Amino acid sequence: MAEVATEGRWKDVDRLLSRHGNLVSAEFDPRPNLREDIGEYVKVLVVGAGGLGCELLKDLALSGFKNIDVIDMDTIEVSNLNRQFLFRLQDVGKSKAEVAAKRVMERVSGVNIVPHFGRIEDKELDFYSNFDIIVLGLDSIEARSYINSVACGFLEYDADDNALLETVKPMVDGGTEGFKGHARVIMPGTTPCFECNIWLFPPQVKFPLCTLAETPRTPAHCIEYAHLIKWDEAHSGKAFDADNPDHMLWVYKEALKRAELFGISGVTYSLTQGVVKNIIPAIASTNAIVSAACALEALKIVSGCSKTLSNYMTYNGQEGTHIKVTDFFRETDCLVCGPGTLIEIEPSVTLAEFIEKLEKHPDVLMSKASVTHRGNNLYMQAPPVLEEMTRSNLNLALYDLLGKVAKDTVHVSGMTEKNGKRSSSLRKLRVSFKGVSAGPTDMDTR
Amino acid sequence: MEGGEEELTAHETALYDRQIRVWGVDAQKRLSKAHVLVSGLTGATVEFCKNIVLAGVGSLALMDDRLVTEEVLGANFLISLDEYANSNKTVAELCSQSLRDFNPMVGVSVLSGELSQMDGEFFDKFDVVVVCSFSFQNKILINERCRKRQKRIAFYTIDCKDSCGEIFVDLQNYTYMQKKGDETVERQLSYPSLEEANSIPWRDLPRKVTKLYFAMRVLDKFELLEGRKPGETSLADFESISIVRKDVCEAQGLKESHLADSLLERLLAAGKMEHPAVCAILGGILGQEVIKAISGKGDPLKNFFYFDAADGKGVIEDISVHSTVTA
Repeated sequence: MAEVATEGRWKDVDRLLSRHGNLVSAEFDPRPNLREDIGEYVKVLVVGAGGLGCELLKDLALSGFKNIDVIDMDTIEVSNLNRQFLFRLQDVGKSKAEVAAKRVMERVSGVNIVPHFGRIEDKELDFYSNFDIIVLGLDSIEARSYINSVACGFLEYDADDNALLETVKPMVDGGTEGFKGHARVIMPGTTPCFECNIWLFPPQVKFPLCTLAETPRTPAHCIEYAHLIKWDEAHSGKAFDADNPDHMLWVYKEALKRAELFGISGVTYSLTQGVVKNIIPAIASTNAIVSAACALEALKIVSGCSKTLSNYMTYNGQEGTHIKVTDFFRETDCLVCGPGTLIEIEPSVTLAEFIEKLEKHPDVLMSKASVTHRGNNLYMQAPPVLEEMTRSNLNLALYDLLGKVAKDTVHVSGMTEKNGKRSSSLRKLRVSFKGVSAGPTDMDTR
Repeated sequence: MEGGEEELTAHETALYDRQIRVWGVDAQKRLSKAHVLVSGLTGATVEFCKNIVLAGVGSLALMDDRLVTEEVLGANFLISLDEYANSNKTVAELCSQSLRDFNPMVGVSVLSGELSQMDGEFFDKFDVVVVCSFSFQNKILINERCRKRQKRIAFYTIDCKDSCGEIFVDLQNYTYMQKKGDETVERQLSYPSLEEANSIPWRDLPRKVTKLYFAMRVLDKFELLEGRKPGETSLADFESISIVRKDVCEAQGLKESHLADSLLERLLAAGKMEHPAVCAILGGILGQEVIKAISGKGDPLKNFFYFDAADGKGVIEDISVHSTVTA
């Protein structure tokens, strides 16, 4: 594509980056080529290429970012087209990340977007540590939790428990549903991380089994009965596939029968799909607003050209139009962004025993943990090649493996369980060895 | 805008599934019968156009006879570089093709001409009129033309000034159903025209009204007195606009110090520039509002909206007789 001279198109962004102001950050260094520097040096990762992701890629590219990576494991579906404007009918079935990257590069000169068609859990930590800022356009708590734990995992503290600035990996997180949405800035160590505020989420809807089985009252109860109970009874062994229209139709018909039995109205095919697939109602305008707020914050964070959002913005367009910004506080002993869960053990404890302890430790509760130390694999549960290579460490004392220091940080990843749901998680642990003195400074040198 | 008797096609139901779950089938049907006009294609209005085209309005008419320049490209995502380099088409023509791609079911058309010179009948074709980059006088004129028509035409203005922006809404006399818990009540809102809102003395407005409202009006007055086109300003105009500020504040009984130098400087320096993300926010809010007005569902904004990227806040100001302190 011809490199058309379009300096004029950047006038606005340049203006923001080259003028002094009263609300800029202390490090802000306004200069005419700040945009070029951002374009050359800053690497941003966009997680998700769906409703928020499409808007984010557009906004970031138009704001001067030139090195963008985008990751998404999904392919394009017809129901995406009402808001994921980078996709067309003929794109259905293709990778969201790949099509989105291609379309934005066609429109904005000079931007390079690298798509990754895959799961966020399948990327190495190195991949994430590469980026200066991570912007999230996700649709689940689990995915956010994972990225949050990865980014906060890079955070290190000094001896006085102050966050080391060069290890801070900023994140901007957006989310929407119907007319509502939020955008928040996460500076690990300073603002609350995703886990610090996880109590903000209302309890996830889970119907008690007895309600489903004995006393349904709503259409959703009837649908979940058909989906979770009747299906297995009638199709023992065959897994239910939400994307199979025949399976969905079967559940709908069963739900209808049950609803009739109990005199409940309101079971429709659409509701059946919604309940079974946990469909989130979504419109273009809310995504546009929230993504733009996130992109704005990303630009402010990397350039310092203005005060950042402090630190959680909620948008509600359902009843009137309401935008509110709340300054939440961190949990100082957060398991994810805090200085690390303290694990005190005897220096004689082996790596194998340590891994076993993690299963029962009340603040960790992690099974099949893999352990890394300052980037080195101490023990990897998978893949088989790595497992074999690190197996010999299992019998060694952790104290020796960490270099015979009194305390150090390790990262563990494995399966944890929350509210009956198992998910992969990454944690930071501060290991402290009992009876070992802290170091030369403690020695009486008289 | 009746809520039609024909059902949505299977394709429409599949395509609009996620949003039908938000506002229902009836609202979607009303959308598909609505005709929208946008005059002045800037970063903010093209974002708006994207949102309502994706939502599935019946038709969208675009008016903007300017030829494309680099400046226009700034926050405009609809015009690709190839198109810009190789054509002497107008901005409206270039934007229309991309919009058609977003949703082939929406009738996107291009109309030539100057909106302020169109007679009343021209407006009857539309249910919604959105204007951007017009002088304050012309906004008032177009608003009046819309109000004089028999059918109710929803009128909006939208403007992005670099890192902040304004939206004005006029739904005339608007009745809609509001859900309050388990009940649905009928609500009636009475919107002032732009001229009426502008005539409310500043001293009668609550103190907490955002300074952006007053600053924008001072800017409008300045552009009128100096014969400037919208956004044709720079920092060099600061001395002149200070005099306008002094005169206007005196006449309105507002302390000059209420409008800081830095705020005026910011608006002057903004000129015609628009930050892409701010355009997306303004275009998103406006998209929301137009969808509410067409569908008759949801509380519409009354009557001014301001967004400022500096603090990330959006505020609604009710500049009407009912909101005045002495009323």
